[in-house]
Order: sequence, then structure tokens, then C-alpha cells
Amino acid sequence: MSLLRVDSVDKSYGDEPVLHDVSFGMDRQQVEVIVGPSGSGKSTLLRCVNRLTEIDSGEIYLDDEEIHGVDENELRRRVGMVFQDFNLFAHLTARGNITLGLREVLGLSKAEADAKADDYLDRVGLADQADSYPAELSGGQQQRVGIARALAMDPELILFDEPTSALDPELIGEVLTVMKDLAEEGMTMLCVTHEMGFARSAADTITFLDDGEIVERGPPEQLFENPEHERTGTFLGELTGLHQ
Amino acid sequence: MEPAVLQASDWGFIFANWQTIALGVVVTVLLTATSLTLGFALGFPSGAIEVYGEGWLAEAVSTAGVLLRGTPIVVLIVLFYFALPIPQLGSLPVVGVKVDAFVAATLALGLRSAAYQAQVFRGSIQSIGEGQLEAARSVGMTKLQAIQHVVFPQAVRRSLPGFQNEFTIVLKDTSVAFAIGLAELLTRAERLYLQPGRDTAVIEVIIAISAIYFVLTFTTNRTLDYIYSRYAIPGGNS
Ligand SMILES: Nc1ncnc2c1ncn2[C@@H]1O[C@H](COP(=O)(O)OP(=O)(O)O)[C@@H](O)[C@H]1O
Ligand SMILES: [Mg+2]
Repeated sequence: MSLLRVDSVDKSYGDEPVLHDVSFGMDRQQVEVIVGPSGSGKSTLLRCVNRLTEIDSGEIYLDDEEIHGVDENELRRRVGMVFQDFNLFAHLTARGNITLGLREVLGLSKAEADAKADDYLDRVGLADQADSYPAELSGGQQQRVGIARALAMDPELILFDEPTSALDPELIGEVLTVMKDLAEEGMTMLCVTHEMGFARSAADTITFLDDGEIVERGPPEQLFENPEHERTGTFLGELTGLHQ
Repeated sequence: MEPAVLQASDWGFIFANWQTIALGVVVTVLLTATSLTLGFALGFPSGAIEVYGEGWLAEAVSTAGVLLRGTPIVVLIVLFYFALPIPQLGSLPVVGVKVDAFVAATLALGLRSAAYQAQVFRGSIQSIGEGQLEAARSVGMTKLQAIQHVVFPQAVRRSLPGFQNEFTIVLKDTSVAFAIGLAELLTRAERLYLQPGRDTAVIEVIIAISAIYFVLTFTTNRTLDYIYSRYAIPGGNS
């Protein structure tokens, strides 16, 4: 039984089609990496899964339940999201960024929420930064707080939208390390990323999205070594060249 | 008549009437406080509705704002006093101003302030990135929770400089309440030099109350400055 099933999804902004007939499924504990050129609809696809954006047609199932029949806030509690620009709450400390959802959405007491937040900060290696504000943290640290914030809600699935694209090269590693650890611990992850090292080592499946359509989808070895479509090979080749 | 500035006897007259002036200060400060509070309570939601709202509500808020900002404050006060069915409720203790006049003045100054504060808040809310709201929603908070816990605390901080202006304007505009016979600071002071034989004290009275308005404005703005830096977000530039 798949955890996430995206079925014939179409989405346009005005009369500009962004996603066309997109279908795929993910099992629990799987890591799926989505790659594709800028503007191909990767962010839109992720945002459709937690309903920050609404689809025009098709269906999306989480745990065999169509997500438009689930309360949107409940859905988002179950599907975490990590943003390219971190989007940490600027007025709250690292701990406060995590406890806000725990208290307001899950209804934990202050003591419970603080303990849980510190626990997750520890997991991303930031136990000593609990009282720091976002502007006092490096980009890599901010993104790790962003991951801890998503994780702390006990989601069934986490969406990552280019989590390292806004980072200076020397800060990318610390975020990827956290993500790899998560993958090993069995977190189900749907990641838009162009970090091919991560894709090769952590992904179970890579999906190549171009112009709103899935061009090719398969295990990393297949897409890297033996792509069915020339476009896939060219795109991955360019990425790999760029990042090595 | 010789230029009657700074005559010792006129200063003595002012000091002899310090109670009158003190009561005027109390009325002015009270009216400023109630008006700004009403303005804040209505101004923030209005600003939020102008940013996030749609349909008739956003339309209504925006139209009300245009009307309130476009009408002279004297007209608003007189209109509210004579046109609204505010019951006569006797007088406020100690300061002895009529409650219905005080309510009308608070409504007029407060609603107009709400219209201006809404503009301040609208600007601050818009300056907060869309990503803040999305991040809040992505952990499962409702839109209202997100506005309350993520947008509001940041927008209020960014609004403080604009709020300082608004405070100064409301403080000074309380003097317009004389139009409905509400004896605040300026009105009471004027009554002093309008007494027979006291026209020599005009300039002294004006200097004295100017100094009082200045002290009120200055200390409050300093307090707000302090609050602004005390609650500034560490490491941030807002
Ligand atoms: N809110 C929006 N309104 C209008 N067009 C949008 C919006 N978001 C994205 N688009 C358009 O949809 C297309 C896909 O965008 P996006 O999903 O962000 O692509 P990617 O993440 O792959 O770069 C782009 O052409 C983009 O301009
Ligand atoms: Mg994108």
C-alpha cells in the first residue's frame, strides 16, 4: 500500500499549464527525488501535495485517503514541508520556531513542547542554538531548524523544496547530512533537489520532470547510467557536471 | 498695552490654577488613551482584512477608511456627538466631563485613528514575506492562528515608528473635542485667560500648555523608542 499516490494531476495558473497528467506513488520509508529545469513545476507539485496550492483535476491520496476530503490543517500536520528560503519565524528563537506548532496545533503544554523541541534540535546538531534567533544563525543552521520544525510535528511524509539551493556551498553539506540521516532512519521524503550526490546515495527513485510532465522515473542507477530518454541523460549530465 | 510676555503676576495666576490645568491634562491623556486603544483594536484587524480579506468585508473596510481619513476631525466629532444616539450617562468623576461627550470624542478620534493605523499595519503586514504565513500553515496552523502568532507579532514591531506619529496626532487632536464642550487641556487653559481682566496671561498660558503637550509627546515617544529597542528581534533589522 502506498503512502502517497498522485493520480493524473493537472494544474494551470490562468491559462498557463504547469502540471500535466502527473502520476506517481511512494511507499513508506521511501526517498523520492524530483529533478527538472527551473519552471518545470517541481515546487507546484510539492505544494499540491500539502494543498498550499490546489490542483485543477486528478486525485492525490495520502494513506489511501483523498486529500481533498481531509481537513487541510490536519493534512499539513501530517505532511511536513521544508522550504528553499527556510522561512523560519523571524521573531522566534530556534526553539520557539519548533514549539509554536507543537503548542498551537498539537496542543502540547509548554514544558512538553520545549522538551520535544530541544530533542529535535539535538537531532539536527543544534542543541546549543536553542535560544538563537534566525538572524543570528547561518543559512545551514537555519535550514536545520527548518527540518527540525517539520520533523517535530511527527509527519508521515516530509516535502523538501530545494532545501540547499539558497545556501553557500560550504553550508550545503551539513544540511545534506541531516537529510541522509533522516533517510536512513526511515523517514518518507519527497525531495526536489539538484544535489546529485544525495540523489545517488539516498534516493530510491528519481523523477525527471520537464515542462510539467514526468519524462522518466526510476531508480538512480537507471536514470544516471541508462536513461530511456535523451533529455534525461542530458539534464542529469549537466547537473552532475555542475556539481562535481 | 505693553507686551505682556512673562509677567510674574500672570505666571502666578497659572500656578494658582494648577488644578484646572492638571484636570485638563487628565482628560487629554484619558481621551488619547481610549482613542488610541480603540484605534488599535479596530486598526490592526482592518489592516489585516485589507491584506488578506476579499469580497464585501474588504470592500467595506477600505471604503470606511477612505471616508474616515477624508473627513475633518471636527466634523466627525460634532457628527458623532449630535447624530449618534449615545445615552446621557452623567459625568466622569473628578474631572467632571460629560460621559456622552467623552464617548463621542473617543469614537470620532478612535475610528479615525483606526483608519490611519490600518494603513500603517497594512504596510507592515505586506512587508512580511508570504513565506512566513506559508511556513505557519505548513505545520497545520489555521490562517487565523498564523496571523495571530506569526504575522501579528512581527507586524506590530514594524509598525511602532508609524504608531509614534499616530500617537502624536491623536494627542494634539484631542483639543478638537472643545467643539462638543468637552473640557480637555486646551479648553480649560483657554477658559483661564478668558476670565475678565486675565487677557494679559494669554501668552503665558499658551507657553505653559505647549510645554505640557511637549512633555507628554516627548516622554511617550521616548517610552515607545525604548519598547521598540527592547522588543527588537535579535540579529534582525526590523
Ligand atoms: N503563484 C503562481 N502564480 C502564477 N504562476 C505561477 C505561480 N507559481 C508558479 N507559477 C508558474 O508555474 C511554473 C512552474 O513553477 P514552479 O512550480 O515554481 O517551478 P519549479 O519549482 O520547477 O522551478 C512557472 O512557469 C511559474 O512561473
Ligand atoms: Mg521551485
